[in-house]
Amino acid sequence: MRTWYRSWRVALRIARRDAWRFKGRSFLVLAMIALPILGVSAADLTLRSSQLSPTESLSRQLGAADAQITDHDIGGAAVMQDPTDPYSYTTVKDYGDKPWPTGPGDLAKALPPGARTLTDSTARARLRTTHGLLDTDVRELAAKDPMTRGILRRISGRFPASTHEVAATTHFLKVSGLRVGSELKVRDLDRTYRIVGSYELPNGLDTDQVNALPGALLDPLAKALAAKGLHADPPQTTWLATAPGGFTWNRMQAANAHGFTLTSRAVTLHPPARADVPYFQRDGAGGSGGGSATASSILATIVGLAMLEICLLAGPAFAVGARRSRRQLGLVGANGGDRRHIRAIVVGGGVVIGVASAVAGTVLGLALTFVLRPVLEDAIGKRFGGFDVRPLELLGIALLAVVTGVLAAIIPAITASRQTVLASLTGRRGVRRSSRVLPVLGLVAVVLGGVIALYGSTVSDRSLIVVGGSALAELGFVALTPALVGLFGRGGRWLPLSPRLALRDAVRNRGRTAPAVAAVLAAVAGTVAVSTYTASSDAQDRAEYRPTLPYGAVSVAVGDDGGRDVPAARSAVLRSLPVDLRANVDRLSVGKPGCDEYGDAPGCGRAEIAVPKANQCPLWTYEDTSAPEPQFTAAQRRKLAKDPRCKDEASSDTMTGVVVGGADLLKVMSIHDPAAERALAAGKAVSFDRRNVSTHDGRTTVALRIYADNAKEAADLDKGKTPETSIVTLPATEVRSGTKAYGLQLLIPPSAARHAHLNTVPYGAYYTTSSLPTSAQEQKLNAAVDNIGGNVELHVEKGYASKNDIVLLALGVFAGLVTIGAAGIATGLAQTDAEADLKTLAAVGAPGRVRRTLSGFQCGVVAAMGVVLGSLAGVLPSIGLRLTERRTALADYRQHLAQGMLGDATLPHVPIVVPWGTLAGLLIAVPLGAALLAAAVTRSQRALSRRAAT
Amino acid sequence: MSYTTPRPAPGPHPRPGEHPDTSAPVLRLVGLTRVHGTGATEVNALQGVNLDVFPGELVAVMGPSGSGKSTLLSLAGGLDMPTSGQVIVEGTDITAVNRKVLAAMRRRAIGYVFQDYNLVPALTAVENIALPRELDGVSARKARVEAKAALAEMRLEELADRFPDEMSGGQQQRVAIARALVGDRRLVLADEPTGALDSETGESVLALLRSRCDGGAAGILVTHEPRFAAWADRVVFLRDGTVVDQTVRSGAESLLSNQVADR
Repeated sequence: MRTWYRSWRVALRIARRDAWRFKGRSFLVLAMIALPILGVSAADLTLRSSQLSPTESLSRQLGAADAQITDHDIGGAAVMQDPTDPYSYTTVKDYGDKPWPTGPGDLAKALPPGARTLTDSTARARLRTTHGLLDTDVRELAAKDPMTRGILRRISGRFPASTHEVAATTHFLKVSGLRVGSELKVRDLDRTYRIVGSYELPNGLDTDQVNALPGALLDPLAKALAAKGLHADPPQTTWLATAPGGFTWNRMQAANAHGFTLTSRAVTLHPPARADVPYFQRDGAGGSGGGSATASSILATIVGLAMLEICLLAGPAFAVGARRSRRQLGLVGANGGDRRHIRAIVVGGGVVIGVASAVAGTVLGLALTFVLRPVLEDAIGKRFGGFDVRPLELLGIALLAVVTGVLAAIIPAITASRQTVLASLTGRRGVRRSSRVLPVLGLVAVVLGGVIALYGSTVSDRSLIVVGGSALAELGFVALTPALVGLFGRGGRWLPLSPRLALRDAVRNRGRTAPAVAAVLAAVAGTVAVSTYTASSDAQDRAEYRPTLPYGAVSVAVGDDGGRDVPAARSAVLRSLPVDLRANVDRLSVGKPGCDEYGDAPGCGRAEIAVPKANQCPLWTYEDTSAPEPQFTAAQRRKLAKDPRCKDEASSDTMTGVVVGGADLLKVMSIHDPAAERALAAGKAVSFDRRNVSTHDGRTTVALRIYADNAKEAADLDKGKTPETSIVTLPATEVRSGTKAYGLQLLIPPSAARHAHLNTVPYGAYYTTSSLPTSAQEQKLNAAVDNIGGNVELHVEKGYASKNDIVLLALGVFAGLVTIGAAGIATGLAQTDAEADLKTLAAVGAPGRVRRTLSGFQCGVVAAMGVVLGSLAGVLPSIGLRLTERRTALADYRQHLAQGMLGDATLPHVPIVVPWGTLAGLLIAVPLGAALLAAAVTRSQRALSRRAAT
Repeated sequence: MSYTTPRPAPGPHPRPGEHPDTSAPVLRLVGLTRVHGTGATEVNALQGVNLDVFPGELVAVMGPSGSGKSTLLSLAGGLDMPTSGQVIVEGTDITAVNRKVLAAMRRRAIGYVFQDYNLVPALTAVENIALPRELDGVSARKARVEAKAALAEMRLEELADRFPDEMSGGQQQRVAIARALVGDRRLVLADEPTGALDSETGESVLALLRSRCDGGAAGILVTHEPRFAAWADRVVFLRDGTVVDQTVRSGAESLLSNQVADR
C-alpha cells in the first residue's frame, strides 16, 4: 500500500540528518525557538505550582482546625455571609442609615457542643533590632497546639512554651539581624523575650512576624503604653476551632446568627448551592469575565507577534539550509521526488528543529523550575503547594515550538520546491520573480489596518481597535516588504561598487532579503511604537508633575505618638544628607499628648482651618449636612469651575497644610516675603491661601475649628447629630500674592499658638540641601528612617524623574540585537550566493577587501531597509494611540467641565513626542554597527577550495 | 580499491532496425527539438533528434562541448521539456504528462547517474538506493530489503550502512547505478559517470553499467572518452544539436578513431 506518510518518513530522515550535519545553524534556530518555550513552560509550571488546591489553601489558613471564626464586633447581631469568604457579609436586620451595633459577640453561643477553640491575635508592635526599631506583626497563637499544624512552618528551634519566649519568621530574623537564641526587646515594654525558634508562613515568606503565647506580649504592651499615655492598636483576633462533625453549612449559619462569620473546611470544600445562600439572595451576583477576554486577546496578540518575529528570524536560516542543500534536493527530484517531497524535506527541517526545541525548551524549563524552586518561591513570596506539572498545558506550549518551526520553514520550502530539478542540479541561479499576490494582500492589509486604527483614534475611543488595526497594518508591511525592497534598488545607480553590488544583490534576491528585512521591520516597529508612546506619556507626566517642595528640598514628618520619634527622624536626615538650611516644625495637638495626627483613639481630636463662609466654594459646601445638597445647572458649574474660591490647590506630600514654625521655614521654602517674616516675628500667623483669611474692621484673622474628640465626633455623625466644635481665631497676614507655597496653608508662630492656648507637639522638619541627594545618600537615609520604625513620611524633591528610561533602553537594545541578528543571517545567505561573483571579481583584479566591504554593505543594506520601514510602521500606531488618548482626555474634560467638577480649568495636555534619540540610534547606529560587525567577521581572503578526494 | 569485471564478450546484441518486434524500445525520442531563449539569444540545443533504446542496449552519446549531449539526457529523463517532439518512456509520452506523473515516472521508470555528488549526503548507501521506492510510498522495510538485494547483486553489501562521505568516488558511482535501476526501473541515464574518476575506477564503473544492461536494462551513456564509449552497443554522435553519425559497436572503434582525427 502506498501511503503519504511513508514518503514523509524519508523526508524527516533526511531533515534530521541534515540538522545534525549542520549543527551550528541548527543550534542557532533551536535556541531561537527553545528560549521562549523555556520561559513560557517555566512560567506555566511556576504559576500552576503556586496556585494552591482548596485543601492546600485551607491547610495554610486553618492548619488542622475545622474552621476559623471571625467576630466583626457588631454586638452579636445576626449576619449572613458568603460561604467561602468570611469578610463578605451583611447583617440580617436592615439598619438603613443607622449605624450597626458595636461590641464583641458571645463566642460560646456560636459554637456547637464539644467544640474546642484556639485564640489567634495579631497586632503591630515596635521591636528593637540590631539596627534600630522595626514595626512588626506580633501574633499570639499557641503554635505548639496540633490544631495549628500547617499554618506556621517551623524551620529551626521550637515554638514558645513560656510567656518569656517567642519564635520569629526567618524573614524577620534576616531583616532584624537577630537569630535564634537572641534576646528580643519591645519598645515601651520593660521585658525581654528569648527567640527560641524560627518559622515561616508558607503563603507569605517575606512576612515579618513574631509568635508568642496568648497574653505574653500584646496585653503587657498595651498596659505599658497606656501607662505612658500612648495608645496601642487593638489586636485583630480570630479563633481556630474544631468540633466533632466539623463546621457544616448549618453550623456556619448558627454561628452567623450570633454575629460571627466562618471559614469552614467542610463548607469551602462542599459549598451549598447558590440559591440556598441568603447572602447571595440579598446581594447581587458576582462580576463578569469581560476583563479576562480583553487580557486574553492582548495575550494572543503578543504571542502571535512573538511567533511571527521568531518565524521571520528563523525563516532565513531555513532558506540558507535549503539553498546550501540545493544539490541534494535536486538529486531527490531526479530520483522521482516531486514538489511535495521537496517541501516535505524542508518543512521536515522545521519539524525536526521544532520538536527538538520543544523537548529542549520544556525539559530545561522543568529542570530549571525544579532546581530554582526555592529561589522562585522566595521571589513570589509563597511556597509551592506541590510541583504541579500539567502535561496538557506543557504539550500545548511545546506544540507552539513545533508550529513555529514549521511556519518558519514553509516559505523556504515552497521556494525550494519551485526550483526546477535541472536548476537545482546544475546550481544555476535564476532570479525569481517575486509573488504578485503578496504585495497586493499587503497593501490591502496596510490600508485596512490604517483605516481601522484611524477609526479607532478619531471616532472611537477604544485603544484595542487602534492596537488591532496597527497589528494588521504591521502584518501588511511585512507582506509588502519584497515590493518595498524593490523600490530601494532604484537608488543604487550612483553608488560606488561595493554598496551598489550589495544593494543590487539584495534587491535581485528578494526571496532571502525580504524575510530578514521583515524581521528587522517587525522588531523595530514594535520598539519605535512603544518608545514613541512612552516618550509621549513621559512628556505628559513631566508637564503634569507638581513638585511638593522646592527643587532639592527635603521634608520629614512623623504624625504618630505625639511626635516622640521626630528627633530621631530629624537627626537621620542630618546624618544622611548634605543639609544646608533647616526648619523644624511642630503641629497642633488636640487632646491627650500622645495622640496620633489623625488618630481616632478616645480623647484625641484635631484642628482644621475654618474657611469663612464667603470664601467657600459653593460646589463643595457640605457644612450643613441637614440641608439638601445645592443644585447647579451645567452653565453655573462651568462658571464656578473658574471661580477662584473653587480652585484646587496642590497639597503637600508629607505634611498637613497647618504647621507651627518660624521664619526659617520661609527661607527653606524659597519664599522671600519680608512682610510675612515681620508678621511671624510679631506673633501673627501667615496664610498661604487667601481663601482662609477674613478681614473685619481692619483686622485680618484665620479661624481654626477645634474638634475635641474624633471618636465622639464620628459617633455624633452616626447618630445624625452635629458634632460639637469650638473656634479659635488667630491674628494673621496673607503672604504676597503669587507665592508658590507647595501645599502649605498656614504657618503659625509658636508664640501665637501659646497665646491661643493651642498645644503643639514636634512634627518634622524641612531642609534645603547643598547638592541634590545622591542615590547612595538617599538609600542611607531610607535605611536610617526604616530603623526608626513606624510611619515616618519622607520626601526628597528631585523634580520629575522618568520611570521609563530603562524600558526604552531595553527595547532599543532588543531591536538592535534583532536587527544585527537578522541582517547577519541575511548576509551569511548572501555570501553563500555571492561566492561565484566574488571569484569573478577576484579574477578581474578586485582587491581582497572588496569581499569584506561587500559583506559589510550587504548586512548594512538589510539593516537599513528594515529600520527605515520599521520606524515608519512603528511611529504611526503610537501616534494613533496618543490621538485616542487626547480625544478621551478632551471628552473627560468637557464632561467634568459640564459638571463643574474641575478645579483647575486648563485644557488637558496630551503631547505626541517622537523619541528622536532612539530613532537616530536605530536609523544610524544600528545599521552602521551591523555593517561594521559583518565586515569585521568576514575574511578578506578566501582559501582556495580543495576538491574532495575520490 | 581495485574492482575488475571481465569485459563482456561481444554478444548477440541486436542492431538498430534489426531489433525483434517482440521487444519494444524502453526509450523513444521522436523529432526532439529544444530551443533555449528567444530572438537574439536563441540557441538551438537540439534539433529533430530521433533515437530508440531497447532493453539490454547501452547507447553512448558523444560529441564536442555544446553539442547537446546533456540536453538530450535531461530531456530523456524528463528533467527538461522539449520545444517540440516526443519522449516516450516505456510507452508513455512524458512530454504530455503533468508534473506529478513525471515525478512518478522518475521514481518508477527512469534512473540517473551524474558525474559526481550523486548521493544524498544525509542518507546511507542502502537508504540512497531505497530513496525512489520510499518516495513512492513503499514501506521502509520493503524498500530496504530491495535496496540490500540490489547491493548484494552488485557485490557491494559492505557499503550498505556507509554515508556518501565515507565512500570513495567509485563506490559512490556504483551505488548510484544500483539506485538508478532499483525496483522496476529499466532506463538508466548516465551523464559522464566516470568524469571525476581515475581510469581504472572508471572502467570498473562502466563494467558494472554494462552488466546491468546485459541484464535487461536500457542505458544512455554521455561521455567524452572514446575508451568508455567502447563499452556501448551503439555510439551516437551529436554536433550542434543534431545526430551527425551513429554506429554499432563493431564499427565503433574505427568511427571513433575518425572522430578523434577530425578534432
